[in-house]
Amino acid sequence: MKTLLPLALASAWNRRLSLALTVFSITLAVTLLIAVTRVRDAAQTGFAQAVAGVDLVVGPRGSPMQLLLHAVFHLGDATHTMRWQSYRTLATDPQVAWSIPLALGDSHRGFPVLGTTPEYFRHLRYGQQHPLGFSSGQPFSGLFEAVVGAEIAARLGYRLGELITLHHGTVHLDELQDKHRYGAEHTDKPFRIVGILSPTATPVDRTIHVSLASLEAIHLNWQGGLPLPGLDIPPQLATKFDLTPKTLDAVLIGLHQRTDVLRAQRQIANFTGEPLMAILPSLIMDELWQLVGSVERSLHGLAWLVVGVGLAGMAAVIIAGLGERRRELAILRSVGAGPWHIVALVMLEGGTLTAAGLLTGLGFVEGAGYLFAPWVNARLSLDLATNAFSADELRLIAGILATGLLTSLLPGWRASRMSLADGLIPRL
Amino acid sequence: MIRIRDLCFTWPGSQTPCLSQLAFDVSRGERLFLHGESGAGKSTLLNLIGGVMLPERGEIDVLGQSLSQLSARARDRFRGDHAGFIFQQFNLIPYLSVLDNVLLPCRFSTERARRTGGSPTAEARRLLAALDMDPQLAHHPATSLSVGQQQRVSAARALIGRPELILADEPTSALDPQRQAVFIELLMSEVAASGGTLVFVSHDQRLAHLFDRCIELLAP
Repeated sequence: MKTLLPLALASAWNRRLSLALTVFSITLAVTLLIAVTRVRDAAQTGFAQAVAGVDLVVGPRGSPMQLLLHAVFHLGDATHTMRWQSYRTLATDPQVAWSIPLALGDSHRGFPVLGTTPEYFRHLRYGQQHPLGFSSGQPFSGLFEAVVGAEIAARLGYRLGELITLHHGTVHLDELQDKHRYGAEHTDKPFRIVGILSPTATPVDRTIHVSLASLEAIHLNWQGGLPLPGLDIPPQLATKFDLTPKTLDAVLIGLHQRTDVLRAQRQIANFTGEPLMAILPSLIMDELWQLVGSVERSLHGLAWLVVGVGLAGMAAVIIAGLGERRRELAILRSVGAGPWHIVALVMLEGGTLTAAGLLTGLGFVEGAGYLFAPWVNARLSLDLATNAFSADELRLIAGILATGLLTSLLPGWRASRMSLADGLIPRL
Repeated sequence: MIRIRDLCFTWPGSQTPCLSQLAFDVSRGERLFLHGESGAGKSTLLNLIGGVMLPERGEIDVLGQSLSQLSARARDRFRGDHAGFIFQQFNLIPYLSVLDNVLLPCRFSTERARRTGGSPTAEARRLLAALDMDPQLAHHPATSLSVGQQQRVSAARALIGRPELILADEPTSALDPQRQAVFIELLMSEVAASGGTLVFVSHDQRLAHLFDRCIELLAP
């Protein structure tokens, strides 16, 4: 090994042009595979982070997946709602440590508006049990006050004190062009931004938070999704009305004892007032990931395939170079090298090329991560560094190296056959 | 030193044997000239003595050791420890320096490295100087040398670590006649100094008078 490595390196250096191209193709393949893996891991972690600390999600009985998507990712529309009174009953249960009511349905420039209570900022956790933090301002306390997520503030350039208006229903940015169709805007009651949250890499970054009472207030003069003609209630008069909401979309619950979670789930399923269900978010999250996972798995498979192509190219280049190296191999045999030395020599070359491709590939990924991580973090709420050089990634790197060594077994075997047949004097 | 009895060898796929019923001895310190037309099996015989291939029939003993009784690995080691080769041409590994080419046997054989008396590099430089090589060339790439220089470097490589056996396969055929004689004289004096045995293969009968003994290989 000690004698062969310098020889292998010197020999490879002698053919550096063709080998450099091989290393480059391995580099690209490795870059792809590691990047795909890191994005996958970041997405999965971001996924799980979104529900850290929530023991149960309660909502009207229906599809657990739909409830999760709606309550956590604010996707889709609720087909049913649950009564306010049911929430009050749940909140006073002795097992329940805290509960956060959620009401959805409105939007602002394509971002969902979430009606909730200040409890939300106190109890919601993300990532490794981090509480939500404010980069500026504070939680809402009165009517028509809004707290916006980090991504919204960054994308729309919002600062404290700015006024925004909400749209009725979920309207996407491109649909806003069509004012006539989606004209239902709460222009009469604008919201003032009182807080901007720190980035969390979860759906919180893309959410506008307002109080439940504010949501009630902007809908006072509305019915069936449209303002009632001739009925105008100015904002200052809204406080005269009872602004307790009648319905909610979901409730997030934290228990005193996590071990009680299954019992509490059963109790909620048997709730007497109305048909409710409680889901364990991490469980449904895993299910959801399984769904999304098939795309991820095929992408991952494709990336491995590209690595295979790169390594096969390397084997082809080494085999093609053997013809010119007959003389070299014969000389090595004459000074005492056996067939196994020849195999080892070629495998060392293959291993060195793979390692070189791995290192430059990792360099590419790290460099790209360094350059684009802030952008990716802000735009896509993905933390690409989460699994950098984790045990999984080291295993992946070892796997690529092992595959490279295994692949060079073929040219190695061929070189040893060649050197055996040629003996000390190559025959042309 | 070398004892060959009843040696037969046929290349795979060939009808006629390449070597048949060959028998001769070479004693220690002897300088043997093996002469034969091309196709007479000279190179094959060197491969067999070097233990790279095994005879179809018959025996080859080198230094009292029967080569066919050694494992493939042990034969490779035996060759590395006890034999030095010089070929017709293209003897050197192009990507190594002159010095590294000479040192090559010491990389594979600790025995040869040990017998240089502790410093293979010093011994390599001494051999190169003895073979009339400019010391300046030691770190030049092997490919920058003339053919005559290359053959002297390969002689130094064969001689380093004083192997008992030097096997030369037409080392002078790429040289002009004056240089042939100079090369052979240099080679012989160094072989004599190291106490080795020389087997020199050539198709050129004119060189025979320089050697102790001449054996003729006949084409089958």
